[in-house]
Amino acid sequence: MSTSALQLVDLTKRYGKLTVVSQVNVSIERGEFFSLVGPSGSGKTTILRMIAGLTTPTSGSILLDGKEITGLPPEQRGLGLVFQNYAIFPHLDVYDNVAFGLRLRKVSEGDVGTKVHDLLDRVGLLGCEKKYPHHLSGGEQQRVALARAVAPNPKVLLLDEPLSALDKNLREEMKFWLRSFQEDLRTTTMYVTHDQSEALSLSDHVLVLNGGRVEQIGTPQEIYESPASMFVADFMGLTNRFSGTVTAIDDNRVQVRLTIGFDVTAIVSKRTFGVGQPVNVFVKPEAISVMESAATTASTVNSFEGSIVQSSYEGALLRHKALVGGHQIDIYAINRSENRFSEGSKVRIYWAPTGVVVIGADDNERVEE
Amino acid sequence: MIRIFRENRTVLLAVPVLVFFTFFFIVPVFTLLALAFNPKELGSIAIKPVLTIENFKLFFSYPVYRQSLINSLWLASVTTAVCLLIGYPVAYIIARTTSKRVQAFLVILVFSSMQIDLTVRIFGYLTILGDNGLINGTLIRAGVLSRPLPLMYNSFGVIVGLVNLSLPFLILPLIGIIESISPDLLNVARLLGCNRWKGFMKVELPLSLPGIITGVLFAFAISMSSYLIPVLLGGWGRAVLPVYIYQQISNQGLWQRGAAFAIILLMANLIVVFALIRYYSRAYAKRVLVA
Repeated sequence: MSTSALQLVDLTKRYGKLTVVSQVNVSIERGEFFSLVGPSGSGKTTILRMIAGLTTPTSGSILLDGKEITGLPPEQRGLGLVFQNYAIFPHLDVYDNVAFGLRLRKVSEGDVGTKVHDLLDRVGLLGCEKKYPHHLSGGEQQRVALARAVAPNPKVLLLDEPLSALDKNLREEMKFWLRSFQEDLRTTTMYVTHDQSEALSLSDHVLVLNGGRVEQIGTPQEIYESPASMFVADFMGLTNRFSGTVTAIDDNRVQVRLTIGFDVTAIVSKRTFGVGQPVNVFVKPEAISVMESAATTASTVNSFEGSIVQSSYEGALLRHKALVGGHQIDIYAINRSENRFSEGSKVRIYWAPTGVVVIGADDNERVEE
Repeated sequence: MIRIFRENRTVLLAVPVLVFFTFFFIVPVFTLLALAFNPKELGSIAIKPVLTIENFKLFFSYPVYRQSLINSLWLASVTTAVCLLIGYPVAYIIARTTSKRVQAFLVILVFSSMQIDLTVRIFGYLTILGDNGLINGTLIRAGVLSRPLPLMYNSFGVIVGLVNLSLPFLILPLIGIIESISPDLLNVARLLGCNRWKGFMKVELPLSLPGIITGVLFAFAISMSSYLIPVLLGGWGRAVLPVYIYQQISNQGLWQRGAAFAIILLMANLIVVFALIRYYSRAYAKRVLVA
């Protein structure tokens, strides 16, 4: 069995009676882009700091390439780190910033030059060698921080919300750039963020953290398509939440009678509930189709009559709010002529069983210790 | 000039300060300067339209005066160096104290010595450093010494006094600067391969240079111009320049000579100040030092 690049075993951090990180277990494969996502205060930065050696864990261990590094000082771990505020050395120019880690490793000045040149080329900052940090924009500073962190070939690159200080457009651009940069270098990367869409679009695997505990680990698709808990579903931005009771299960096909009186069919990949048990149901807004009420659908399930109560025009996307049986449902539709409905128009809405997420009510919001 | 005031009324806010500085700082210094170039006249402080460099010539022709300038420079330099050696670690510890309450307490502790009048503090030193003082008395009674150590009426005593006087002025600007250096910078340096000490030397120390320069300037200027401490703790063995300024004016009544000596002291001080500022701006011309 090949060892993972980074492994956390029962990693726990307590401050007095307060448990900030509780028994986190995870393996990160070599070359992987791994995201740690959770709301603020969920312990994600504490985990990152423990991996970096800036915070001492209360218990548990950290393994890098199969070797225990839990007690090592930060400088002996061979990791790269980019902080949210970039932490560029203000007294050094761009070249010296990037060369900082290399020079500490007895690399000849010639090799330092080659490496710095190559990295500045990759991050698009050739020609900025002699500039000082305060002459650089936020995006440029961030790329210097990244080049500096990867220069000594770290075993794992740790990124602490590196995009959050950038404005929206730049953030989107940097997101894609960051991913291709990482794919080029194949450096195992751990990315900490509170932004679920960043985590989903960048990562090979995502760990969702809540109150210091692991809620779910999986691919972005697994996390979004089959959230393991109410928390994950909420955090991933799922709306159209209903409660109900399971009435029938046929293999992976599940029937749920909602408390508001409708029957909903869902197709689930994993389930933790049986017939007769209470569940929560989410209908993904993007999985819902809207059509004129006269139209007929081939399917007889998940098809309801309603009316549009609100419709907002957002360019590529249309956001409708439909009223179905006195209940409001959010719908995202691609902005095409057949999807445009005026407020008050009678419609038929329909969604495929794969667009429904069912979570056992027992997996509800965890009780905090 | 009037246009400046008309276009930018906030300039008016600076007027009281400008008036204050003109009358209480610039005028006296220029009066002193003018007086220094007048021929000596017993008891007179009136400025006369007669120019002479006699007073300056006199200063440099007497070894005792020249020596007093060297003594002043030497004592101020040693004091500043000692202040930096003691003050930097203290400022560092205070700046890196995370508890705001503990930090406030430590700052008050540093400044507590300033709450007491200088003369009273000096007499406090006499009781500690004197031949029958706390240190010598205890050591002799304990049988460690047979004769008292010369802790006073020499350079040692003066330096102890001057360090006590200038230390808070060196520590205060340093605390602010060190506090403004983000701890993340050290964290990043450590992950890149620096141990704690190397990280300090490569990141925190160079970034705290503005605070060091400011603190050194304060400590140097204060100890260079101190009169009371060298007189009461140093005796006449190593007289400093301010002592002779006082002597010329109070004992001899020769204001012109006193003024000339004072100008020499001021010049020596300014040369050091400008040398430091020049060094600082050369080394850091292009850089913003605070993260």
